[in-house]
Amino acid sequence: MIRINDLEKIYKTEEVETIALNKLSFQVNDGEFVAVMGPSGCGKSTLLNILGLLDDPDSGSFLFNGIEVAHFNERKRADLRKKNIGFVFQSFNLIDELTVFENVELPLIYLGVKSDERKKRVEAMLDKMQIMHRRNHYPQQLSGGQQQRVAVARAVVNKPKLILADEPTGNLDSSNGNEVMELLTDLNEQGTTIIMVTHSEHDARYSHRIIRMLDGQTVTENILA
Amino acid sequence: MLKNYFKIAFRNLWRHRVFSFINILGLTVGMTACFLIFLYVHFELSYDSFHSKANRIYRVVCDIKTPTEVIKAGGPSWAVGPHITQDFPQVEAAVRTTDDELLVRKGNVKFQELNSLWADSAFFGMFDFKLLKGNPKTVLQEPLSIVFSESAAKKYFGNADPVGQTVLLTGEGFTAKITGIMKDIPENSTIKADMLVSMSTLTRKLNPGLDDQWGNYGNSTFVLLKPGTRPADLQAQLPAFLERRNGTEMKKINMYPTLFLEPLKDVYLRSTRNGNNTGNINNVYIFSWVAVFILLIACFNFVNLTTARSAERAKEVGIRKVVGAVKGQLTGQFIGESVLLCAISFILTLVSTALLLPSFNHLAGKTISTGIFENLNFVLILFLAAIGIGSLAGVYPALVLSSFKPVTVLKGRFSTGTKGQLLRKALVIAQFTISIALIIATIIVYNQMNYMRRQDLGFNKDQMMVINTNGDPAKDAFRNAVAGLPNIKGVAMASSVPGGGNPAAYSEIENVKGVLQIANLDLYFVDFDYIPQFKIKIIAGRAFSPDFQTDTTQSMILNEAAVKMFGYTSPAQAVGHRFKQWGREGRIIGVMKDFHFRSLQLPIKPLSMRIEPNGCSLVAIKLSTQNLPKTIAAIENKWNALIPARPFSYYFLDEFFDKQYRTEERFGKLFLNFSVLAIIISCLGLLGLASYSTMQRTREIGIRKVLGASVPNIVNLLSREFLKLVAIAILIASPVAWFAMHGWLQDFAYRIEIGWWIFLIAGLIAVLIALATVSFQAIKAAIANPVKSLRVE
Repeated sequence: MIRINDLEKIYKTEEVETIALNKLSFQVNDGEFVAVMGPSGCGKSTLLNILGLLDDPDSGSFLFNGIEVAHFNERKRADLRKKNIGFVFQSFNLIDELTVFENVELPLIYLGVKSDERKKRVEAMLDKMQIMHRRNHYPQQLSGGQQQRVAVARAVVNKPKLILADEPTGNLDSSNGNEVMELLTDLNEQGTTIIMVTHSEHDARYSHRIIRMLDGQTVTENILA
Repeated sequence: MLKNYFKIAFRNLWRHRVFSFINILGLTVGMTACFLIFLYVHFELSYDSFHSKANRIYRVVCDIKTPTEVIKAGGPSWAVGPHITQDFPQVEAAVRTTDDELLVRKGNVKFQELNSLWADSAFFGMFDFKLLKGNPKTVLQEPLSIVFSESAAKKYFGNADPVGQTVLLTGEGFTAKITGIMKDIPENSTIKADMLVSMSTLTRKLNPGLDDQWGNYGNSTFVLLKPGTRPADLQAQLPAFLERRNGTEMKKINMYPTLFLEPLKDVYLRSTRNGNNTGNINNVYIFSWVAVFILLIACFNFVNLTTARSAERAKEVGIRKVVGAVKGQLTGQFIGESVLLCAISFILTLVSTALLLPSFNHLAGKTISTGIFENLNFVLILFLAAIGIGSLAGVYPALVLSSFKPVTVLKGRFSTGTKGQLLRKALVIAQFTISIALIIATIIVYNQMNYMRRQDLGFNKDQMMVINTNGDPAKDAFRNAVAGLPNIKGVAMASSVPGGGNPAAYSEIENVKGVLQIANLDLYFVDFDYIPQFKIKIIAGRAFSPDFQTDTTQSMILNEAAVKMFGYTSPAQAVGHRFKQWGREGRIIGVMKDFHFRSLQLPIKPLSMRIEPNGCSLVAIKLSTQNLPKTIAAIENKWNALIPARPFSYYFLDEFFDKQYRTEERFGKLFLNFSVLAIIISCLGLLGLASYSTMQRTREIGIRKVLGASVPNIVNLLSREFLKLVAIAILIASPVAWFAMHGWLQDFAYRIEIGWWIFLIAGLIAVLIALATVSFQAIKAAIANPVKSLRVE
């Protein structure tokens, strides 16, 4: 599904040049659950941003389902992203002014789905995540675990082919964290490709393959049983 | 989708209600001020435009060249009207009007009708004053025909039909017939009257030669040109017309008139020949600019406050972009929020305007509008303006917000940094510059007003009561009767008092070369008591005295300006020289010190005074301050006993004189009010920014406190950046304001100097206001517990 080759990303300020990704290459197949690990500053987040079409690389190739997307403009990226990718963040990133229902509904609105259809799909998703009873509450009224469930619901409501998770359990305690990892595993078993950045060895063990990075390059790849 | 936007917009507004409130308040104040000014400007521009033929109607005015000056008269001689229609086929009609105070009586009801107008028969054909009863073609044709306004008719006839009935014009001594009733003339008309009397009464009965009097002035003449006639062409032919009709006479008396055509629609605002009943196009321009400035300030606020808050919305922008929004959708969303804010302001503006309208009418001195819905077009314009403002002012913040990269905002702390700060600072400077300039202007306007009011006018007007006898034969008896009453300090009679009008006489005065110089001299007819009663100073020669027999017919007193006009280098030089004026001749017996017999806006003209009992209709009574009501009652009794046919009415000279400044005074008050508004809006903006800036620096303040900063240190730190902006504003505003006010003051013959202390005061006011606005936030931040502010991270 994803094949990146010699990907480079350099951050330039007036005095300092930081090489975030240093001719990075790897691939991810349909239905895989891949964990990306490495110390702070190794480029994991940059990689995730590029994979999520939120940023573009300075050079190299990025094939998404066989299409070269490395230098797509913002509109094309947004289009591809909303149809194919869902995001789960460490700090949930829900919109505080919207209710749970409205937060989950948001991607469908931008996809142009009609109101009745939206209602059906959102309710189905909330049900699945077991937060239907909180649909009219605001994020501030929910616990961390509940907020992340909402975030996962939002990430999945548009039936994406790929989910990118950036330290999804980082702000959760262990039992909530496990719950989220179970959710992700479920989704993966239903066919969604998942690429997860994490610090936690424990979480990484839910994946099929662990890619370790250092200084903008892959160092090792472990395949888990 | 729209519903989603609306929901978020409302919730956002509510969540940050302090900012929303400040924003909406600023916008509402700005829009209200603008709307009121718009109503005012529209009203002022609408004068006389309701006549359907207004585009073809011109007022004929006249410059009269005499050997000593050019008199700018508001109307031509009496003969021009009738003859111009004879000589020029392109003049469809000519109407002369002249105002008068006519005494009218019906049965027992008697009133002095101040707003009476003599008018030619073509009046209703030229102007669109609506006749409710009567035929417009014939209603003013016959002599002794009167048309009443609706309200006047009610006053005399109640609900009965007045047409066909008669009233007694007791002053003129004849009975006139009511031939028509007209709708009350609207406020925005330069021609105003409660009663019209047919001009043929004068031209055919009372003053039969009037239509041929080329040397007699004192009327207004309006001409209606045929469609397609160019006024410039007609105007070019008028000198030949005058030469043809009156050339020899003009040469003989050495007075040469030139006729000009003023478009009717320009008369109110642009003509300079109307005395005090006039609007001023400059005021209209000034207030229009004030409106623009106030609106600009409000918009700047809006842009500033919205952009400053962008950091709070950054996360939302990032999330929406991640979830699939494109920049265009986000821009639309934010512009929509701006428009919503403006729509709320619009509704509040309607409410506040409706509430303020009565006070505004009062402030302006006339009923500009009876209600905001009087003209729905205005409301629509306001609505569109609000939407327009929302869109325009919202574009910049929307573009800033929608350009945030999700990568930057979602991970890590996002700060707006210096981006946009320059613009925000520039906007605050602009706001304060405008406000400070307005403060300076207001101070100067008020100083000028006070100066004029406190000026030594050169005569005494305290406790001076003036009664117009209109030449009644019993006037002398009345004067003597009043002189005998207690608490009366003096009684004098004259043709004129300062602040009122006075005649100008064709005069020949011996100048320094010994030659009789022709001049059109202003003239006061007085009696022996006038000069001492008004405390007018004699600086050469002597005042009139009953000891000198010749004083009654052969003596004249000139003022200093007159003395200068005839070439004398000192007042004493002029004494003893000859004069000829209106059938009298004799010698100049004295010179009086210049006094302001016209408003202080005008220079003191040359003035002559003579004794002439027949010419004196005004009785000026100097009252003691004791028992004023009783004294007035006693005077009224004397009047009713001696002159029962005329109603008793009086005025006090100081109030009367002050009326001249009314336009300027109103201008000053309106200006003050709008300046205050501008400052309030600027302060609201400053408050919003200060709050925001303080909030942004919470962490920095916490760290500084931990490191040992005191409360004053912090307050200083936070206030400094804003005071710098105010200082820059002062530097820019001062020369601009000086320049503008210097120009405004040129209109006054007697004016103040613009002292440097004015700028100092204005600057101080601005600094104090800014400090007060900012310091509350600053102090609050400075005493906050640093633990709380540092913990968030």
